[in-house]
Amino acid sequence: MSWKDGSEERSESLRRIRESAAQARYDFKRGWKIYRRSLLAVIGLLMVISISVVSIFADDLAVEHPGRNLQDTRDVWHIDYEPRKAAPFSDECDTRYQKVSLTTLRRWDANGTNALSPTRVADNNSFYEDILVVTEFIELQDRYGVTLASDLVTLETTNNSYFWISDELMDNNSLTQIRLIYKFENDAMHHWWLPDGYDVCIFGTNDEGQDLFSKILYGSRVSLTIGFTVATLTVIIGTIIGSISGYFGGRVDEVIMRITDIFFAVPGLILALAFVAALQAIDNLVIPLALAFLPLILVLIVPFRSAIISVLMPGSEDTFSRIEPAALLAVGLVVVLLLPLGLYGIWEGLFETSDNRTWRLFFSFIVISVFAGLLTLDNRMTKNFSIEGFSERALNTLNWKNPYRYLTLRTAIIFFAAIILFSWSDDVDNQIVIIDNFDRLWKIQIALVFTGWPGYARLIRGQVLYVKEMTFVEAARSVGAPSGRIMFRHILPNAWAPLLVAFTLDIGGTILSASGLSFIGLGAEPGAAEWGKLVSDGRAHFPQDYWLVLFPGLAIAYTTLGFNLLGDGLRDVVDPKNRR
Amino acid sequence: MKTSEFIIRRIILLIPVMIGVTVFTFAIAQIIPADPAAILCGERCGLIDPVTGKTMLELQRERLGLNDPVIVQFWDYIERLASGDWGESTTYNRPTSDVVRDAAPVTLEMALFALLMAYPIGITLGILSAVWQDQVFDHISRFLAIAFVSLPIFWLAMMLQLVFGTGPDVGGICDPIFGTEGGCFPIYGRHDAALTYPDRSSSLCDTAITGIACYPSWYPSGGTGFHLVDSWFVTDEALDNIHPDYASNYKLFDDTLVHLILPSFTLGIASAGSLLRYMRASLLEVMNEDYVRTARAKGLSESRVIIVHACRNALVPILTILGFSIGGAIGGAVLTESIFAFYGMGNVAVDAIINLDYSVLMGVTLITAIIFLMSNLIVDILYGVVDPRVRLE
Repeated sequence: MSWKDGSEERSESLRRIRESAAQARYDFKRGWKIYRRSLLAVIGLLMVISISVVSIFADDLAVEHPGRNLQDTRDVWHIDYEPRKAAPFSDECDTRYQKVSLTTLRRWDANGTNALSPTRVADNNSFYEDILVVTEFIELQDRYGVTLASDLVTLETTNNSYFWISDELMDNNSLTQIRLIYKFENDAMHHWWLPDGYDVCIFGTNDEGQDLFSKILYGSRVSLTIGFTVATLTVIIGTIIGSISGYFGGRVDEVIMRITDIFFAVPGLILALAFVAALQAIDNLVIPLALAFLPLILVLIVPFRSAIISVLMPGSEDTFSRIEPAALLAVGLVVVLLLPLGLYGIWEGLFETSDNRTWRLFFSFIVISVFAGLLTLDNRMTKNFSIEGFSERALNTLNWKNPYRYLTLRTAIIFFAAIILFSWSDDVDNQIVIIDNFDRLWKIQIALVFTGWPGYARLIRGQVLYVKEMTFVEAARSVGAPSGRIMFRHILPNAWAPLLVAFTLDIGGTILSASGLSFIGLGAEPGAAEWGKLVSDGRAHFPQDYWLVLFPGLAIAYTTLGFNLLGDGLRDVVDPKNRR
Repeated sequence: MKTSEFIIRRIILLIPVMIGVTVFTFAIAQIIPADPAAILCGERCGLIDPVTGKTMLELQRERLGLNDPVIVQFWDYIERLASGDWGESTTYNRPTSDVVRDAAPVTLEMALFALLMAYPIGITLGILSAVWQDQVFDHISRFLAIAFVSLPIFWLAMMLQLVFGTGPDVGGICDPIFGTEGGCFPIYGRHDAALTYPDRSSSLCDTAITGIACYPSWYPSGGTGFHLVDSWFVTDEALDNIHPDYASNYKLFDDTLVHLILPSFTLGIASAGSLLRYMRASLLEVMNEDYVRTARAKGLSESRVIIVHACRNALVPILTILGFSIGGAIGGAVLTESIFAFYGMGNVAVDAIINLDYSVLMGVTLITAIIFLMSNLIVDILYGVVDPRVRLE
């Protein structure tokens, strides 16, 4: 076959691509026209955009260096030895109490001291203090907080970092320690976008003297990541399971729907709670990842299987046929042989979770049994098998015009990617830990995915049931399109609209639930820049220091509201009533 | 289909779901990394029993049946559940069934009261929103509906505490307006700290001790747990000695009510938001029906058309949300109960997770599932009664 032969098809496919691009542009314009009719929707979009921008540029916007952020525990330092909370817009962010031991000074025979920053920890774990530039000397106290005459200590005129301590003070042996209170040149607060000389903390500081505003900025990253990851994973899993349920119907549908019933029987948050508790036994991402890949492989296996069948057996185009007794027997045999092993793997894995090997064993059993089951499910496998012309048909699958080829390739690639990821995780030092920083956060993410998919499964099942009866699906089926193709090319593209809305709303909902779980103490580590955790940390000082609770909560509400308004606007766009 | 047949069918449909839930709770308990035997024997685990020559840990494991095959353990679990033995709580040192029995009414009372507050708000706003469709009020209430479901419930709880439960020096607004001292509503507890209501574990009743509420002998020991109900049955002798401020049943009831308002409002607000949306959509749909047009054509006043003809039909689908909102309220209780110091199922569940008290966790999951399924069952049956078309399906 020469390159020339396909020229017509190529130009045809190019034309189609152009057409679909034009259609997409038109659809988008129309959608935007409907969307912008609603003021609330536009506000929601702006809110989502603003919070996304903030999370992307958190490094540039934050007043304090993320080193002050407790996520990076190496560089924790306090604004002074006695960390204290400052109210929003109070200009106490750059005052510092410094204790000076007079006995030490007397021993060294020095009558002056430097203004020093709190002790910091350097990268090599050594401690160091910065010399601060004092802008104003406020007060002098003895060790019990009683104010002394402030002229007993004077600031050196040439060097704004040095205090002279008067002889009167040095000779007073009853005083062992004094406390200097001064304002200093706070580099951290001098940020490029703040007006010159602006040195108050916008949202106040927490009891460790950390700037709340910066923590909230960094918290947006955590929340958005959780929102997107969880919503995406739930959509994928829910869509796969729901479309299988809706498309194949019958017993499969019945079983899946009964499982979702169980999930709906327990309130989501309590279910997630119980699941997080169970997850505490697991300390890496291998198993969740494996489980996440499993449904993906299950669905993508359809074209893979059809390719194998088309190679093995001449003249078979459709992929799924009714199960016949012979095939049932074969499946039964596989189940009888593999299930005990699989079950053994499950229980072994549950009791000895520290041993990854058994999990891996269990996982591979599932994969193998699923493969075997799917392959044997087709009765023509045994009936029409023919070795004659095998190589020809095998070559035919490499034909670039063959639509199966791409699907098969995709399946193969995903499958092998899963295998490779899996084998990577074999090495204990090389565990697949995608979200290293938030090692406790992924547990609540998995829990939220686990509790979230049944909703999508039901939603997409209803859509599939509805679209399945439409004429174009029947037409596709009558020309012999395989199930996988009908599913991906005909049904799902026509069922995505409510899915998109649910997805957007779910991001908001996930952020809410995740912060709730963090609030309980199951998510982020104490002190982490996660909004739910910030609220929970602030609870100890509530209601006196209300800002520690108010602002992180406002951030959660703002983000969730943005996504909910966005989803509501999208609902109007995809609503069939608005199609003109 | 007759109503009785419909009800029986619904109940039969619940059985596989209940079995599924028990399997789920059992699986959770299996996965939780704590060894219940080790928790029970504590420091004495290493001691050797002179009679059998086994360590205490081994004996505990045998007693709990942890050495049995998993299937046998599951069967034991089902058997024990059926006989009312829900296991022993390791944090409270009480039977789990008692812990759950004390905690469930707290949450239920709060959740039901929350719905009692949410429904009038949600339905009224929904109706007004539909009547004034696309007007300013409609836009505002639609925004409110979305805002209500977007608020983090734990944060809302604390903000309400701040605004309505504290004095002006902290940030409360009540004192200057209503002349109260330290806010309009108490922010902690189910009742005044000076009072004690008996529960299952301490059903002692001694009218001589100040502050203890006592029930008559025919009343369930330890009360029903619903203080709104219990407060009316406290005996006169107990009232005499309970506290000078609460010397009548009404005052006790009022005390409980005042303590319930903030937590319930917090829980109810999300339900009110979703109710508003559903009510609006449902009413708008009904307004296009023929019978509404007929009613209008008859010359009935608009208010009569809306209230009598449209609303009655629009309210029917709202019934389905009732079941879900109870579930939502129980889920929300997990987050609010600790803030308001209510010792309900939410608080118990969180404690159980932190202390890895697996039998309580199983019990709470199970009881919430039962409550949720029962409320959905009742709603389904009500729906079947109100709308006979449902029964035909």
